[in-house]
Amino acid sequence: MNKTMRILLASCGTLALATAASADTVRIGITQNNVGIDSYQTTYERAFIAAAEANPDVEVIVLDAGGDVARQISQMQDLIQQQVDAIIIWPTDGQALVPAVRNAHNAGIPVVVTNSNIAEAGMDFIAAFSGPNNIQQGIYSAEMMCDALGGEGQIVQITGMPGYTTAIERQQGFDERLAEMCPDVTQLDIQPGDWNRERAQRTMETFLTRFDTIDGVYSGDDNMGVGALNAAIDAGRAEGMVFIGATNFAVGYDAMARGEYWGSVYQSPVDDAEAALQTALDVLAGEDVPKLNYFDTPKITQENMDEFDRPVF
Amino acid sequence: MLLNRLKAGGPAIAKQGILVAFILFMIVFSFMSDRFLTPDNIMSVFRQSAIIGVMALGVTIVVIGGNLDLSVGSMLSFATVLVVDLHDKVGPELAIPIMVLATLCLGAINGFLIGILRLNSLIVTLGMLSAIQGLVLIYSGGQNVDIVDQRGTWFAIFGRGSVLGIAAPIIIFGLLAILFHVIMTTTPFGRKVYAVGGNPTASVFSGIPRSRIVFTTYLISALCVAVAAIILGSRVMGSQNNVGQGYELQVLAAVILGGTSLLGGAGSILKTVLGVLMLAFIQNGLILMGQPYYTQWLVTWVVIIVAVWLDVAAKRGRLFSPIA
Repeated sequence: MNKTMRILLASCGTLALATAASADTVRIGITQNNVGIDSYQTTYERAFIAAAEANPDVEVIVLDAGGDVARQISQMQDLIQQQVDAIIIWPTDGQALVPAVRNAHNAGIPVVVTNSNIAEAGMDFIAAFSGPNNIQQGIYSAEMMCDALGGEGQIVQITGMPGYTTAIERQQGFDERLAEMCPDVTQLDIQPGDWNRERAQRTMETFLTRFDTIDGVYSGDDNMGVGALNAAIDAGRAEGMVFIGATNFAVGYDAMARGEYWGSVYQSPVDDAEAALQTALDVLAGEDVPKLNYFDTPKITQENMDEFDRPVF
Repeated sequence: MLLNRLKAGGPAIAKQGILVAFILFMIVFSFMSDRFLTPDNIMSVFRQSAIIGVMALGVTIVVIGGNLDLSVGSMLSFATVLVVDLHDKVGPELAIPIMVLATLCLGAINGFLIGILRLNSLIVTLGMLSAIQGLVLIYSGGQNVDIVDQRGTWFAIFGRGSVLGIAAPIIIFGLLAILFHVIMTTTPFGRKVYAVGGNPTASVFSGIPRSRIVFTTYLISALCVAVAAIILGSRVMGSQNNVGQGYELQVLAAVILGGTSLLGGAGSILKTVLGVLMLAFIQNGLILMGQPYYTQWLVTWVVIIVAVWLDVAAKRGRLFSPIA
């Protein structure tokens, strides 16, 4: 009898201690899109874990969907079952994840969407979005292009993978701002480079065959931009051609240092990851968090590149 | 009388369906864009087609042998990442042989599973497609790799060099195509590949070492991927982890367009070259005409399906063939 009592008391004590501990630390689950597929996402994960470890009040459960929508949905269910305090999701598909996000919302777990946003239908169920403003990035690129060309010239555009939100938004921002700011810059053609440097190089080669005068090239990211630059150098036509990109890559940074590449938009995966974690913590602290939280992605050009570290990817 | 002539002549023309389609297509496109048939553009398309082309040569031999190889896309990612990464670590003179050996090992795994263990090639190479992609990600940790000294390295000759005004990738593709054409048409090995693919059982009864032949076709395919990786790495001077993603379908499309039968036992290296060039000219021509990208997907696959139809029609001796 006595023994049973003691065991019961002991377990109650442990339970009380555990509750006390969990009252201080918050448990945040993150399900990422596809770690390892590119340097950006790999660096993002590392930065996220580092930021969480630096904060003793945070315990994180780090998951990766491997680009698979079905796997991400079941990871969402797992996190709901584990009753985490908040979920951060990098959606593999903005549309297909809406029901999973709604389930979390109904279970009383706040959801923060990171990097690329969920579809419009899911906006009511999320606590906040944290990530880069891709439309703004397109606007920045258009402004750099106008400046570099002095408001006049003929350009081509190489976009990312057709259908990807990031690609669509950057193109939208660029097209609109370019038409508004320098109507004398004409876009000869827009073709996809699929985020692939070799593909972008091929697309640019065909542009070079087709157009006798190309004054500038806008690429959806620096990886493709450097492919386009390679094609122009091989054709002996890179001299005086303005190359503008987005998501500054190390190769783009180096080409800028050599004076071959004009400018880009600096987007740090470390800032991205830290902003996501901070947004989740703000939500949990009961702060009044706006729906859309953009972290700063400034213009980087040959002139101001000294202020930035060489990208790690 | 006329009907008989048509029946006799029809299949003969249809047998060269790909050649006829190619010529018709070139004529139509040259009217639509005055840049299309310029020497500069033709050279540019030849050069662009070399990477897919070299891979398609190897896959053609695998398919003639009665199997498929869907792993070439991620194998290309693997080989390119490896050669580019090692370039700055141990120098190109060591990076190239190490990469070729490692890629041949992957080919040997394919060959062992399919040739020796007789597993289904679709399943094995589909599995290898994912497995090798995983291997690349583990090796690189998700980082892109780049060659820092792009202008100074002799590694640049494979993708950017030229001899007598002809770009190096074209020369490599051309020489390999001739080599494999000769091997497939004149050597005992070539005839054995056709025999194994055409009728595996009969070939074994004829004393042909079927396992060894199939194994060798996968080694050849891997070797072609290694060569393609050298051209790609040298041309781009860097590599993404998934650079070859989707290339397996373009390669297979070129092989099918060239009339190589997916059932094995029939096909031709030179017609694969024609298939490769036709796909490259379609992509190039549509951009020259200023067509949006989705027309490329549409036109490319319409052309392939029509070509396959012509191919089947040639074997049946008529265009429309009800079940019988």
